[in-house]
Amino acid sequence: MTASDSPTSGLGEKIRKLTAPWKVPALAVFTAMVVGAILIAVAGGDPLAAYAGMFEGSLGSPRAVAETLVWSTPYILTGLSVALAFQGGLFNIGAEGQLALGAVAAALVGYGLPGLLGGSVPAIVHVPATILAGGVAGALWAAIPGWLKARTGAHEVISTIMLNYVALNIVSFLLNGPMKDPAPDNVIARTPLIAESASLSPILSGFRLHWGFPLALIAAALVAWMLKRTTLGFEIRTVGANPEAARYAGMKVGRTIVVSMALSGTLAGLAGAIEVSALNHRHQLGFSQGYGFDAIAIALLGKTKPAGVVPAALLFGMMRSGAPRMQFLTQIPVDVISVIQALILLFVAADVMVRRLYRLRGERERVVITRGWGS
Amino acid sequence: MSDNRRHFAALCLMVAATATGACNKSNKPDCSSPDVFCVGVVTDVGKVDDKSFNQSTWEGVQRAKKDLGAVTQYIETTDPKDYAKNIATFAEEKYDVVVTVGFALGEPTRDAAAQFPQTHFIGVDQFQPPGAEKKNLAGLVFPEDHAGFLVGAVAALTSKTGKIGAVLATDVVPPVWRYGEGFKAGARHVKPDIELNVVYHNDVGIDKTFSDPEWGKTTALSMIDKGVDVVFGGGGKTGNGALIGAAAKGVYAIGVDTDQYYTVPEAQKFLLTSAMKLLDDGVFDLLKQAKAGSLPSGNVVGKAGAAPYHDLDSQVAAPVKAQVEELQKGLRSGSVKTNVAPTKP
Amino acid sequence: MDYRRYGFIAAIVVVLIGIIVKLGAAQVSPASIVASMIATTIAVATPLTLGALCGICCERAGVVNIGIEGMMLTAAFFGWFGALYISSILHVGPMTSLLLGVLIAIISGALMGLLHALLTVTFEVDQIIAGTVVNLLAMGMTGFCNRQLFFGAGSAFGGQIPRAPGTLPRIHIPILADIPFIGGMFDQQPIAFTALVLVFVAHFVLFYTQWGLRTRAVGEHPRAASAAGIDVIRVRYINIVIGGAIAGLGGAYFTLESVPSFEPLMTNGRGFIALAAMIFGNWKPIGALAAALVFGAAQAFQINLQLFRDVIPPKFTFLQQSSVVGLVPYVLTLIILTGVIGKTTPPAADGVPYDRERRS
Repeated sequence: MTASDSPTSGLGEKIRKLTAPWKVPALAVFTAMVVGAILIAVAGGDPLAAYAGMFEGSLGSPRAVAETLVWSTPYILTGLSVALAFQGGLFNIGAEGQLALGAVAAALVGYGLPGLLGGSVPAIVHVPATILAGGVAGALWAAIPGWLKARTGAHEVISTIMLNYVALNIVSFLLNGPMKDPAPDNVIARTPLIAESASLSPILSGFRLHWGFPLALIAAALVAWMLKRTTLGFEIRTVGANPEAARYAGMKVGRTIVVSMALSGTLAGLAGAIEVSALNHRHQLGFSQGYGFDAIAIALLGKTKPAGVVPAALLFGMMRSGAPRMQFLTQIPVDVISVIQALILLFVAADVMVRRLYRLRGERERVVITRGWGS
Repeated sequence: MSDNRRHFAALCLMVAATATGACNKSNKPDCSSPDVFCVGVVTDVGKVDDKSFNQSTWEGVQRAKKDLGAVTQYIETTDPKDYAKNIATFAEEKYDVVVTVGFALGEPTRDAAAQFPQTHFIGVDQFQPPGAEKKNLAGLVFPEDHAGFLVGAVAALTSKTGKIGAVLATDVVPPVWRYGEGFKAGARHVKPDIELNVVYHNDVGIDKTFSDPEWGKTTALSMIDKGVDVVFGGGGKTGNGALIGAAAKGVYAIGVDTDQYYTVPEAQKFLLTSAMKLLDDGVFDLLKQAKAGSLPSGNVVGKAGAAPYHDLDSQVAAPVKAQVEELQKGLRSGSVKTNVAPTKP
Repeated sequence: MDYRRYGFIAAIVVVLIGIIVKLGAAQVSPASIVASMIATTIAVATPLTLGALCGICCERAGVVNIGIEGMMLTAAFFGWFGALYISSILHVGPMTSLLLGVLIAIISGALMGLLHALLTVTFEVDQIIAGTVVNLLAMGMTGFCNRQLFFGAGSAFGGQIPRAPGTLPRIHIPILADIPFIGGMFDQQPIAFTALVLVFVAHFVLFYTQWGLRTRAVGEHPRAASAAGIDVIRVRYINIVIGGAIAGLGGAYFTLESVPSFEPLMTNGRGFIALAAMIFGNWKPIGALAAALVFGAAQAFQINLQLFRDVIPPKFTFLQQSSVVGLVPYVLTLIILTGVIGKTTPPAADGVPYDRERRS
């Protein structure tokens, strides 16, 4: 502690400490939006109107805010999923497939359980069962690449990508076949509606905001607690930071890898289950797509910590829910969001650029996960 | 310290800029006013430019803009989750008519019609089930089987190998299925021993089945390798791919939904005809009626037919042309029946 | 030569073709079925082959590249847009426009490669993340430009899609194409032929030239290579940019050779299947080609299955679904990854950023 220069430096010091970890992510977002604005201008649009439209569409009315939070829910959960895997030194690109299978499993329990048990199921049992089914499906699907890595050294990046496509094909097969909605006027590849007792209700009637959102926040808190305060969390983080040291310390690295992936998959599966239970009340081919890669950006923007993932997810949710309004008002295509999100990821990953641009002090934070294809 | 101040200033600037922008109300048409006739179009996850279906609908709407002075806007759905939201966007802006395009929007349109009784809805290709009609919803449907029947007859009569084929989008969409069944019926009607190869792209979801030109092309090529010499391509861009594949191999092609001679120029030299449903006319007529306040409810049947032969006119023998015209008359008068059900049983 | 692996591949292809021949026996001659399937296989495998070659270029130099998908997508769009612009606004003839379009596609791919190189070699960003950035950027940019340039305020064509200059013409090699059974191999479009040729060129360059030796050295032991006087940074940059150019050619296949139109996300995971082909082929060009052909054969199989639908015994009809046969490349790759069918041996320094300053 240096001698104070002015009476308020103590407070200044505190603020600096609090804001320090947020600087690079915030500036990365800002820079990405500036580049995005340039892109919009070059393409003949009006950047300020575009961003204003996005703002209005995401936060401009209670309905808009509800929609934003609805969009943020799966982002929070998939972001947590990828972040947790990162903490364990693993790159889970499979959130897409894990979410899809989670959705399908949840739908199955949602519409199938009453038939199986021969009567209606009380919501207090049905809802958790539905959501848990999704979590379990995601966990199992993620455990496969985890196991492959532990056993054969197969790199989880390729195996999760492959399994994504396998999962999507499985879902397509199921929704066009055994799980297809048998209602006479239905032709689309979708499941039947889930039972009322399996649905997570909206928090306020009239808005789509549902109890899944608080659940996602609770999940974030749980993950944070698990990582910081439990033995398992410690093992995950150690294996992530230095697998050799962990092995030397007697930790079962292989087992931890599988568990990390499984937990990561659970979160993604939960995302899918909540989409089904609370939002769509069924699963349909084409629903809930595209979260997998966004989750990577969110996890990195949030510095792979739950406390960072939540605001990052909210930001992405804002962009996604505000974009259609922007397109409606200004004719700027919604795809500009994807470009901005890619740029955010770019600036977060290559934080050197941001640091140099804004003359930030401090160590560069390297996120290096890749260690080649073999082990 | 100055770094932090600078960052803070930048942050404030960004927030201020967005906020000022937000206060800038953009120029939106005032649709609630009775002299402003606003028409909104919601497409399916296809695009407005798919060179057949969505595009013709849009053209009908654009004619309304020109001839009726309508204010027009469209929203392309990017995720099936958003059907209801996109329709509601127009309805809440007090648009007078919302046109929803495509079979997949049937249910959300019916729901919206119930939710927004002051707004008129036109559902293109959305068959309103009997007993479920809504006062403010008109389902514009077409006799695709007639069009398919005619082009099937043309194909069978012009084929030299006796093998004809159809590459179509998914058969779970009734109009597509009816084109296919009509094609088969028409071909068999003029040549009972014709060999038919009808393939539906029903192994992918609704979002892909109309936008998979590669599959269309590869399937058409494989068919042609089998000896097929007339290919009917039906189903948005997937069908367009089939037309291109046929043209690449120098084989006759038949288009769908509109006169694809104009929309798929790459296939012009080999485009025999197209199974048309007069979408832009149908949409325009309904919009005219809506503006006058007399939009019918329930199902409205539009017109369908076969497109002219264009460049290949001289290659189609006169007796063939005559026979096809007879069939057209017969279908219209009811003396010739296709025996194709409204939906796949 | 990895006999186990190549034997496995050959067996699969023979089985797939054989099934179709049997199904079609009543209607079409075996010779024409085999020819048709081979032709389809080679055509469909083209982007996979080129994507795999891109992957090999990058990874042999030690840089993981999962952005092949994004590189191909970018090239597909800009090549097509370029061809359209050149033919309809600049009024150049179709063939020239198409060729210029291919050139633009190659350049686009190379530029994306440059981005990847910048991120991974200069900024030492994690290579998977860099690849993800390339993919996301490509998806966003092509979607954005697709709408904006054709329909938006800044539309280059006044709101209409102009007439496309068509696709690259088929090249029919006179005597060879008429050989029964395998003639289909010699009746292909230009990019398909180029891909086949490039495989052998890559094989030669990688294993029989100085440049290839240097590349492989950088990929296996960058530190030793540097000590031997090789400029690791330069070698990596050049390889990645060349890889991007090759992926660009692969992207051109989609919009300038296959069908003259662009769909958002039309590459549809083919970039990742190309990665799988690369791994399957053990980072060797000829191996990757073999893998790409198997994956292509699976797709050809599925399409032909639909044509002979009526003859399929009922309990096998589910095979027609693209979601079933579409699984083949992914499942095969997973099997390969487990090492059951021969070891996979990536370049030793694959994925490790090269830090000039580090001493050890």
